[in-house]
Amino acid sequence: MIFTKDHIGGLIFLCLSVTYGYYAGDIALLPGDEYEPFHAQTLPYALAILGGGLSLALLITAKSDLNHKLSLRGYDFVLVAKLLVLVVLFALALEWVGFLLATVFFLVGGYWLLGERRPKMLLLASVPFAIGIWFALTQLLDVYLAPGQLYTQLFGG
Amino acid sequence: MLDGIFTGLSTAVMPFNLMMVVVGCFAGTFIGMLPGLGPISAVALMIPITYGIDPASGIILMAGVYYGAVFGGSTSSILINAPGCASTVVTSFDGYPLAQQGQAGKALALAAYSSFIGGTIGAIALLIAAPALAAVSLSFQSTDYFALMVLGLTAVAAFSGKGQVIKAMIMTVFGLMIATVGTDKTSGVPRFTFGSIDLIDGISFLLLAMATFALAEVVMTILNGKHKEKDAQLDMAQLGSMKLSKEEILHVAPTVARSSVFGFIVGVLPGAGATIASFLAYGLERNIASAKEKLKFGKGSLRGLAAPETANNAASTGSFVPLLTLGIPGSGTTAIMLGALIAAGVQPGPRLFVDNPDVFWSVIISMYFGNLVLLILNLPLIPYISKLLTIPRPILIPLILFFSITGVYLVSFNTFDIHMMVVITVIALLLKLLEFPMAPMLLGYILGGLMEINLSRALVISDGSFAFLWERPLTLGIMIAAILMLCLPPILERLNKRKAVRGPEVAVNEGEG
Repeated sequence: MIFTKDHIGGLIFLCLSVTYGYYAGDIALLPGDEYEPFHAQTLPYALAILGGGLSLALLITAKSDLNHKLSLRGYDFVLVAKLLVLVVLFALALEWVGFLLATVFFLVGGYWLLGERRPKMLLLASVPFAIGIWFALTQLLDVYLAPGQLYTQLFGG
Repeated sequence: MLDGIFTGLSTAVMPFNLMMVVVGCFAGTFIGMLPGLGPISAVALMIPITYGIDPASGIILMAGVYYGAVFGGSTSSILINAPGCASTVVTSFDGYPLAQQGQAGKALALAAYSSFIGGTIGAIALLIAAPALAAVSLSFQSTDYFALMVLGLTAVAAFSGKGQVIKAMIMTVFGLMIATVGTDKTSGVPRFTFGSIDLIDGISFLLLAMATFALAEVVMTILNGKHKEKDAQLDMAQLGSMKLSKEEILHVAPTVARSSVFGFIVGVLPGAGATIASFLAYGLERNIASAKEKLKFGKGSLRGLAAPETANNAASTGSFVPLLTLGIPGSGTTAIMLGALIAAGVQPGPRLFVDNPDVFWSVIISMYFGNLVLLILNLPLIPYISKLLTIPRPILIPLILFFSITGVYLVSFNTFDIHMMVVITVIALLLKLLEFPMAPMLLGYILGGLMEINLSRALVISDGSFAFLWERPLTLGIMIAAILMLCLPPILERLNKRKAVRGPEVAVNEGEG
């Protein structure tokens, strides 16, 4: 038997539905809710049953042919992982060094990861853009952007 | 009705709103041109901006972006054979061959004129159909609403393409599951928050839409290695004339008229939308063409280009009918608009017509303005706008990533949302690799809360009995329509097998458009 995309998808959603249904039991009910026709657990239970049923239907009806096999060849997972890590680092940088520096760091990092190596290009496409966005937000739209914890700790709030 | 039209007109002609139409059309055209990013991503990228402005201006901006993105998608289909979105895939069948014959200018002009006429006829039909339907739907009760939401969800699943119905239904259920995260609206108890304060308010619509339709789409182009592709080399000197001869206009006029009406009707159906309309209109035109004309299809037929272009714009307009009158989105893009409107405190549905006539009418009027902007401003500027396509991808992609992330951050100022975006993007990528459509999930998420409230109300009124589903003729009728929607694809598939349809067939997925 060939394990296809539909089989994998069906199994994932079956597990999800079972876990979802399990945790639906943890939802607290208000006193007397158990006698009501509809309470906080009703829809989650119904969705768990529906999700489980549909996942089983997908598993049963899935065709076992090579065309539907999951192939991970040709995908650049490493680059995607690096970019997503860069996004996470951008979030951390926003907290610590503030919007302006975090934006410059993110853009330079992004351009670099995607193959841009010319220092002049890296700086020209990031610094003026970051300053422009920062200026538009803080000066034109009057949006408050926190300066970053590092700045506050070094120079005070 | 005249009062309403004047209210809409006065709101739509406000300088700020006119600017929104122009900006929306330009931004949409540019984003729509980028391969991989369609109207749905373009509209998602606009949500953070709409949070800071008046709801009427917000939806006017999004409608402009929607139109612009469909037009931009056609431009890249014609010029570089790289459809920006699913609804313009058919445009490339005849548009690109025309461009190769040195008639790119003519193809672009025909696409713009067809879109304009399709959009105009659509806007007139919307002007008539929407208030009529809104007046009828004022008598709807919670049971009818529940049935309508079931119809909306099943319709999206039903139109998701060959062999995709179960997957689309699973994604709808997944969306409904996500909607249950956070504080329960009826009892006030937290559900699936696992003790985290950040989840008390649930997963924000903006975050989900941006992660699945903006961030995940961009990351998917990187995963596929599309960022390494050579940047589009456009030789604008070879555009050729943008003029159409009288004979050519007469030749395509009946096609444009047919496709406008046809596209609008398909667009009104919940779940259908621009993509399906363009495919069906192309098929219809090919089937009714003479044997000699039929041979030209796929090789640069003017009718083959005009039909999908007219239909997708008419359908884009048509999909606003169920959104504005019933609160049920006709496509993935209008689902995002629905979410944005709800977030702005406006509830689309029968009451919109009464409570927010400015929003209702100004959208309809500004749609017409949007069509005019596309024709008068965008068409002559195409040679310049398409130069943006030549920005190197390594520069363009991080900028789009930056806009999607900061769009979410600048609304909540909480970096937890950025981390959450990354998690949702990874899940969305996995689901995309497994070929699960994303639009039904978003629709399930948006309609989930409303559906639960209406179901709870209906069940409490009927004392826990499900008899409400068949006691009221209207509810019963809508439920039957929902069941038919689900049974329709297998029946059609069987019919299609018998009558092997010839011609270009591309899988339509995601119910996008």
